[in-house]
Amino acid sequence: MMRRGLTLIVLLAMVAFGVGVYARLASFKTRGVVAASPNAPPRVSPKFRLPGTMFLAQGGSIYRLQDGLFRQIATGNWTQPVLSPDHSQLVAVARFADESDLYLLDLNGNIQRQLTHNASRVVDFDHWSFYPRFSPDGQTLFYSWDPKNQDNLYRVDLTIYAMPVAGPQSRARSWTEPYFWTGGDVQPVPLRSGSLLYTKFDISDQTNQPYSRIWLTTRAGAVGKALTLPQDNCAQPALSPDETMLAMICTAGGQTGQLVVAPFNGTTLGPLRHLIDGQLCAAPAWSPDGNGLAYFAATGASGHFQLFYLAVPPAPSPSPSASTAASSSPKTSTTPSARPTPSPAPLVPVQVSYDLDFDATAAPAWSAS
Amino acid sequence: MIGSRRGQRLVAELPITTMVLVILGFVISGSLGAFAYFLPAFMTAFRTTGQKSDIPVASATIVAATPAPAADAPFTVLLLGSDDDQKFDPDHVLTQSMILVRVEPAAKHVTMLSIPRDLWVPLSTGGSAKIDAAYAYGGPKAAIATVERDFHVHIDEYVWIGLRGLTRMIDLLGGVDVVTSNPVLDDFYPNDVDSRFPYGITRVAVLPGPQHLNGKMALEYVRSRHSDLRGDFGRSFRQQQVLLALRAKTKYLSPADLPDLATVLNGEFKTSMGLDRIRHLLPVARQVAPEAVTQIVLVSGYTSAEQIDGQYALVPIWARILPLVHQSFP
Repeated sequence: MMRRGLTLIVLLAMVAFGVGVYARLASFKTRGVVAASPNAPPRVSPKFRLPGTMFLAQGGSIYRLQDGLFRQIATGNWTQPVLSPDHSQLVAVARFADESDLYLLDLNGNIQRQLTHNASRVVDFDHWSFYPRFSPDGQTLFYSWDPKNQDNLYRVDLTIYAMPVAGPQSRARSWTEPYFWTGGDVQPVPLRSGSLLYTKFDISDQTNQPYSRIWLTTRAGAVGKALTLPQDNCAQPALSPDETMLAMICTAGGQTGQLVVAPFNGTTLGPLRHLIDGQLCAAPAWSPDGNGLAYFAATGASGHFQLFYLAVPPAPSPSPSASTAASSSPKTSTTPSARPTPSPAPLVPVQVSYDLDFDATAAPAWSAS
Repeated sequence: MIGSRRGQRLVAELPITTMVLVILGFVISGSLGAFAYFLPAFMTAFRTTGQKSDIPVASATIVAATPAPAADAPFTVLLLGSDDDQKFDPDHVLTQSMILVRVEPAAKHVTMLSIPRDLWVPLSTGGSAKIDAAYAYGGPKAAIATVERDFHVHIDEYVWIGLRGLTRMIDLLGGVDVVTSNPVLDDFYPNDVDSRFPYGITRVAVLPGPQHLNGKMALEYVRSRHSDLRGDFGRSFRQQQVLLALRAKTKYLSPADLPDLATVLNGEFKTSMGLDRIRHLLPVARQVAPEAVTQIVLVSGYTSAEQIDGQYALVPIWARILPLVHQSFP
């Protein structure tokens, strides 16, 4: 009897050992890469507390980061939240399979009003709205929209439009003329002067590769001029609160996202200063006091984008000179432009979030209150 | 106390053969556990790798007549990416993507050359057509023979992957980080993957800049071509970009990930490469630095666009293409 019992125990132990080997092998799966599911921000406390309030997008939700805590305020298909200049409202993009629309939200994520109506009965006639941004007086909303081309329906290029926040979409008018078949114009940043900064895409005649430049235009329909060179491949402009510094992401045509800043006097850019070179950075946003930048960067095996903060040291030469302006004609650009100058000492960014997965195409919206 | 003494006596009484049997039992049990874990990988590897019978006769003869290549000998792979949706017979799909890859393990250098899908060439199966039809008419054998004959290169291996396989693999890897080159917008993107109406269309918008793409978004990025000034050339650039992002992600994989990988690639992947070559190739893929990858796309200077038999096609300018190809591909 005793022998039988022992045999049974040994057999069970053998089976358990086999199952254990199976489970142990499974535990060697690359965590964070294979079938990784990032935590939802409410479960995560940032290691570094940022002042004020920040709104961020992840996985179709909008989160508010305040007093060191993330709180989900809207769920669904949301992205690209931006704050009104008085910090009382948000505009965000609701993105669906075939179209996207802009909505006015309160600071708790409740829908106040649908601003654009891009859905139609026929899929081909749907539209996209992306990159909303309030004018400094809060009366006008700038955004990228895809007008239909009647001559060739295959051509879809984003164009920057402006519409009254309190008015209908039918009163929107176009500000820019994109280069055909490039993807178009995106990421508008309206200035207090009434001018507009934005990112303009083009395709190089020499390399046959797309590139982007930071572009400045003074009024709707004006040609405007480039502020950066094609080979710098800069995009995602973020203007400091006092409008004297411009942060942007420059890729120089490679698979890197360098965080770059340059002094800005309203019409021209000073020398580009590379702050972060070794990370894949995206979506910079200035702190409310203008002394630092929040941005996203890909980290670790997952490659998910985490929130970082970098204190920006004062620029060595704050005033840009006229000679640093790039050519107004992208096709014939030969004018020497601002070249990057190395930072005197390596800057150390602070990683604010871990294990999250922020939408790197949606810059954080950050206010002091 | 009494029970303990009984146990000690029982163990002491066990003959050595019994002890050996018990140890053997544990070894077999552990091996079975490991075998069960890797079974999907074994099965997929058995089904999809080492498909030498599909290599054209000429190539197979060369392989058989020469000694087995050294592990660090350079070799050329033809990467084939296909529609595998419901519009086509599973064995007669077009290749959306054809990329010749030259791997030089010793030099840790890789050259990628994208072949435009609309290139109008003589097919190995007879007649002329767009090169994307070669696979549809004769599978990998015809695709390889066509490329070998038209480009005057020798292809050692091929890898074929379906659209769903690519999507699932990227999702399994947790997505890829890509600096998308520009806004990629398409109002006539085929809605044919996992769709009830494979001839339907949908709209896509992949926004520009550094971002983390899941499988669906990555597929949209590499497949869309309607609103790109460069048409299929632009798409070729994007395909190479995502391939390199995938390569970067594989360095985080461990052997324990193989069963999951095998599961998602089931029926969506096949290759002439044997497991031994794949085993040698994986470390090379990890060691090659991004700057050691040469990317070539046959842009408009190498072809001329024409209407042939009512179809848009690219006529190759061989006098320009062949010298370029032979700089990297023997």
